[in-house]
Amino acid sequence: MEPREEKEPFRQGDRVQIYRASNDERWEPYMAQYIGMKGVVTDPDMVINDPEALVEVTLEGTGGTHRFPQDCLRKVG
Amino acid sequence: MRVEKALVLIRDIAEGRAGGDHLRDLRGVAESLLDRPDPEANKLGQELLEALHLHGEVFQSHILSRNCPTGECDYLTPAPCQMACPSGIDVPSYVALIAEGKYDEAVNLIRQDNPFPWVCGLVCTHPCEFVCVRGKVDSPIAIKDLKAFAAERALSEGRYMNPPKEPETGHKVCVVGAGPAGLTAAYFLALKGHSVTVIEALPVAGGMMMVGIPRFRLPREVIDREVAFIEELGVEFRFNTRFGVDVTIDSLRKEGFEAFFIAIGAHSSFKLAIPGEDLPQVIDAVRFLQDVAMGSRRKPGDRVIVVGGGNVAIDAARTLVRLGCSEVTLLYRRSRAEMPANVKEVKQAEEEGVRLLFLTIPIEVISEKGRVAGLKCLRAKLAEADSRGRRRPIPVDGSDHILPADAVITAIGQRVDTTGLENLGLKWTSWDTILADTITAGAGQEGMFAGGDVVLGPATVVEAIGAGKRAAEGIDRFLKGIPQPTMPAVPVRRARITFWEMPASKKMDLKRPDMPLLGPERRRVTFQQVELGLTEEEVRTEAHRCLRCDICKRCGKCVAICRDKMGIDALELGYVEGANGLPTDLRRTSERCILCGACAANCPTGAMRIEDRGDERLLILCGTIMQRERLERCQGCRAPVGPSRYLDYVRRRTEGVALAFGGILLCEECARKATAQSKSGISVPER
Repeated sequence: MEPREEKEPFRQGDRVQIYRASNDERWEPYMAQYIGMKGVVTDPDMVINDPEALVEVTLEGTGGTHRFPQDCLRKVG
Repeated sequence: MRVEKALVLIRDIAEGRAGGDHLRDLRGVAESLLDRPDPEANKLGQELLEALHLHGEVFQSHILSRNCPTGECDYLTPAPCQMACPSGIDVPSYVALIAEGKYDEAVNLIRQDNPFPWVCGLVCTHPCEFVCVRGKVDSPIAIKDLKAFAAERALSEGRYMNPPKEPETGHKVCVVGAGPAGLTAAYFLALKGHSVTVIEALPVAGGMMMVGIPRFRLPREVIDREVAFIEELGVEFRFNTRFGVDVTIDSLRKEGFEAFFIAIGAHSSFKLAIPGEDLPQVIDAVRFLQDVAMGSRRKPGDRVIVVGGGNVAIDAARTLVRLGCSEVTLLYRRSRAEMPANVKEVKQAEEEGVRLLFLTIPIEVISEKGRVAGLKCLRAKLAEADSRGRRRPIPVDGSDHILPADAVITAIGQRVDTTGLENLGLKWTSWDTILADTITAGAGQEGMFAGGDVVLGPATVVEAIGAGKRAAEGIDRFLKGIPQPTMPAVPVRRARITFWEMPASKKMDLKRPDMPLLGPERRRVTFQQVELGLTEEEVRTEAHRCLRCDICKRCGKCVAICRDKMGIDALELGYVEGANGLPTDLRRTSERCILCGACAANCPTGAMRIEDRGDERLLILCGTIMQRERLERCQGCRAPVGPSRYLDYVRRRTEGVALAFGGILLCEECARKATAQSKSGISVPER
């Protein structure tokens, strides 16, 4: 696995985009269909802002709710 | 005829009216077309068969779920709230039933997808509300609170039911862990007719719902009552039984279990890794909350420090207040802005008297005579934001100080306790979670499935419920030898509830109700539920705010046609496609709409309707009466010819072409006769 970059934690309500596939072993093949989609962080790590915790994102439209590794997410306006 | 039959069958599938025989019949029609002498018919038959072969699962999904996630089938476009729900509840339908006061029907509809409507009504993180379309107008529907009311009322009236069970299959399944994931899997497996046994290390069912969430947020009776319904399905519980210790995979296999669902949660805690942590008055928050949940009311000390800035730390601090600790301090190493806990919960904690101390890093637990006497800390400052915007806490040299304390509660994260699972051949991630497929819950070994926190790490109750539901499906397929899916299941549309009519002005005026809370004085001394619940009137009114996105797919065709084709621009719907952030005001329609019906005629889902009712014509969007005008009548035959605004519009558009019979208002038929007479002097024969 690649070393993770230190970055601002995701907070509940942040708008994010799945901008790439993750290198995390918890990334699953079906998640590839969501690359490019935007959504809202509905359940970030609410204990220690762990940058390695999976983050729950509810995708816009009819994309559904899924837990993604954080290295595939970026905040969008 | 055969082509027509194929068309009818396909339309039924695309409109959610298809039954179990539709696909078989469609295949039959396609095959019969191959025998026709007409090459075009052969070609169509071939194409149909290919489509059924390549996309058979999609057709099947449309029939079973009555939802089309891509939105290509207009009638089956699912609502965002339903798609957002990890357990796939048909939110718009149960909200509509609540609006009608049919609480039992609402709850029994929810229970087709989620066995814990009351629990979720109180503690769900409600992803549905984050995507609620009404939130783009003013504020999202209080979906969670509506569910809680309906569940409580249905239970109170004895109308809370289990769905019908399928016949016994003879298969035996063992669920390890009686948390939300395990209990949900047990519920759905039992409904499918399997014999289910749940093994639980604790003496009670509920898992983290019972021992992790404090009673002031989720009363025990709520969990007990909903678990009782699962037990009623014939699920057997073995409490105080630890997997890998009291029972093993081999002993369970000897009992005849064919499949196992590992759902033990994440009940271990991370350590602070500072000197003095092994003192008996240093307790991890998970164990502390568990002890209190199991009945302990002994305070660990008068002055207690909670280390951590998350939801578990807040729950622990608020619990300490209720146990009578005189001084509860929550210590967090960054500032309030970085605190990961839910803002609402933090506010409530402060109201109850919890002191928050920021930018403070614990470095040693100080003891006197073998007991905790204080916590040695360093003050911190936040570094400048790095290239990614994250500010790290940096200890300030020489700032060490001691905070007096009788006990320390640590809440810096949870992890899976892997004891007993070591020799199952499971694959583990670097985070000590099981590497499992989250669609099927398959854990890589024959008959082994896993889901919930043991796979995701600490997550939410509703996610665990969703995981349990998917696991039940995966296990059922395994037992029946059915191939496993590779994509997430499409949530099922359970009903199509009719609209409740309401004027647009009222629909706009309705406001989301505030949840009444127990006063802070009472909260400091009892474990009574903090959220007191909405009244029936508030609940029904709130349900009426719903925009019914299960029917209106928000394509924006109505807005575009009214604005661009008709030049009226009467629909100010800021939440539809192409609105580009414009506001929503449903009342504006009554100022400008001419009731031409162009929007309704072009609505692909029937959400927008135009209707003549008595002496009036109405424009109705999902039950919201957008416009109503008195109908003018033909001065020849008295037939309705449209409202005056519409007639004015027609006159304006045609004034350069012809005079409208000297100001006499005529219907088409009478106008035709009058024209014929005026042109030729001949009377048109009566039809």
